[in-house]
Amino acid sequence: MEDKLLVIRCKRGSKEALARVYQKYKRDLLLLAIALLNDKSAAEDIVHDVLVRFVEDLHRFRLTGSLKGYLLTCVANCARNRNRAASVRAGIATNPPEPSNCGSDDPSVTVVCNEQLQQLSAAMAQLPYEQREAVLLHLHAAMTFDAIAEAQEISVNTAKSRYRYGLDKLRMIFNHEAEK
Amino acid sequence: MRSADEKVRALINEAKIETGSAADERVLADALSRLEELRQRRLARSRQSVWRTIMKSRIIKLAAAAVIIIAVIAAINQLGGSGTSNIYAGVVEQLHNARTMTYSIITQTNIESMPSVRVDFAFKEPGYMRITTVDGYITVIDWTQNKGISILPPEKQFIEFEASNYQHDPAQDPFVVIEKLRALPSRADEVLGEKKIDGRLLQGFRVTEGHVINTIWVDPDTREIDRLEMEFPDAPGMSVRMTDFQFNVELENSLFSIIPPVDYTRLEVQADVSKVTEQDLIKYLRSWSAWTKDGTFPPTFNLAALPKVAMEMEKQGKFGEGETSSQQRSADVMQTYRGIMFVAQLPAQSNWRYAGENIRFGDANTPIFWYRPKGSETYRVIYGDLSVRDVAPESLPK
Repeated sequence: MEDKLLVIRCKRGSKEALARVYQKYKRDLLLLAIALLNDKSAAEDIVHDVLVRFVEDLHRFRLTGSLKGYLLTCVANCARNRNRAASVRAGIATNPPEPSNCGSDDPSVTVVCNEQLQQLSAAMAQLPYEQREAVLLHLHAAMTFDAIAEAQEISVNTAKSRYRYGLDKLRMIFNHEAEK
Repeated sequence: MRSADEKVRALINEAKIETGSAADERVLADALSRLEELRQRRLARSRQSVWRTIMKSRIIKLAAAAVIIIAVIAAINQLGGSGTSNIYAGVVEQLHNARTMTYSIITQTNIESMPSVRVDFAFKEPGYMRITTVDGYITVIDWTQNKGISILPPEKQFIEFEASNYQHDPAQDPFVVIEKLRALPSRADEVLGEKKIDGRLLQGFRVTEGHVINTIWVDPDTREIDRLEMEFPDAPGMSVRMTDFQFNVELENSLFSIIPPVDYTRLEVQADVSKVTEQDLIKYLRSWSAWTKDGTFPPTFNLAALPKVAMEMEKQGKFGEGETSSQQRSADVMQTYRGIMFVAQLPAQSNWRYAGENIRFGDANTPIFWYRPKGSETYRVIYGDLSVRDVAPESLPK
């Protein structure tokens, strides 16, 4: 209910409501973006772009599901586009080199992650991007495989496969880390 | 050992992200400013659509015209009474200090279907004036050339007129009007104390003049006028607000150009209100009686109450369909304007009275309006059939 009121207030131009939306969901949005891109600076940019687009589309926005789910999907879409653009720039079809500044001390980056997030981000960075996205959308954004399939424009079976392969690889990564 | 999905879930749950205010600001700043930009754009659009809504309905349009007239008359005339030579001397001195001035007049009737109407005014020495509505209707008067122009963008038309036809009254000079406003607190009936308005602490004063209650809000630091609110006890809920005063801001000369825009066509109208006559009032009364289904005249000639009354009558379905061509609507507005202006310009000494409420057009025995022309011993009396006779004061209706 609060989200519906927040959206209504945002539509009326309330800056406080928009700031509340950001404060309420910034952790979830940044977490998804960081885990997808393994880059805090890029994650900040993604959340920035998502909020700006949210504002620009407010006039036609209708909240049918959860606001969190909607914003997380937007983050995933932006991250995917960014990843594709980076792939093209790198001349590689998929999986461009990861910037991996999640744990960096870059003074221009003011987002600070704890060890668990760095671990998650580092593990995810070892998966192909599509598998990473499937795992995070299902486990973090609580999206169904139908929804993931629609978002990624693939079949439901492919979405499930990507999730399964992703988890298999993560299992190996975590096991390997545990053995160290 | 936990499965991979449990491990991922655990990491997600335990993940912590700290964002300092700088990071929040960096992420949010553009979204907030974009939101404000869109809000302003939407406000402007809603103002425009309000104006378009108003201009679509004949009666609302007439009421709006009346409201604007009232606003201007109220702003210019109702503030009188202090134009003594001493004050005027002070005014002259102040006038030298202000080269330009802008303010807005916002009128509202408290009628749901007739929201606020905003008109922006700009003045520049030595004698330029520009009036703009939110829908882009512009009137410019260049007193140095004694010429004026009204520009009607939706119709791509313009009206040119001779400003010399308007009587020049030094007390009605816009800069003088503002000086009168500034002088209001010194003769306040009531000091309202300080109040925070739009985030600013302002000092309030209330002055009642005739049928108008003026509440003026002044910045206590600069002593500069911030806003003036006028209420009309005869028309509860209706108010006129003068606001957004600015002095000595840079105003381009092009704003006061009286050259018609290219591709616009000239609209020939009798816009010279200095020549309004009794006949204009009679035509207006005839028009109104033709608009009402029962053929009655306006219920009131109280300029402040008229728009509200017209709106109530519209809601009650008392007006017929009437002529809807844009040409006729323009003529109706102009006729209403001229009829109202005739009465508005009558001096208090004319002792005018209106008694047309519930009287139908054609009633030759019932006087509906009378006034004494300047220098006349007798009164001019208009009857329900709109005939006019000269009547001695002792024979006037009681």
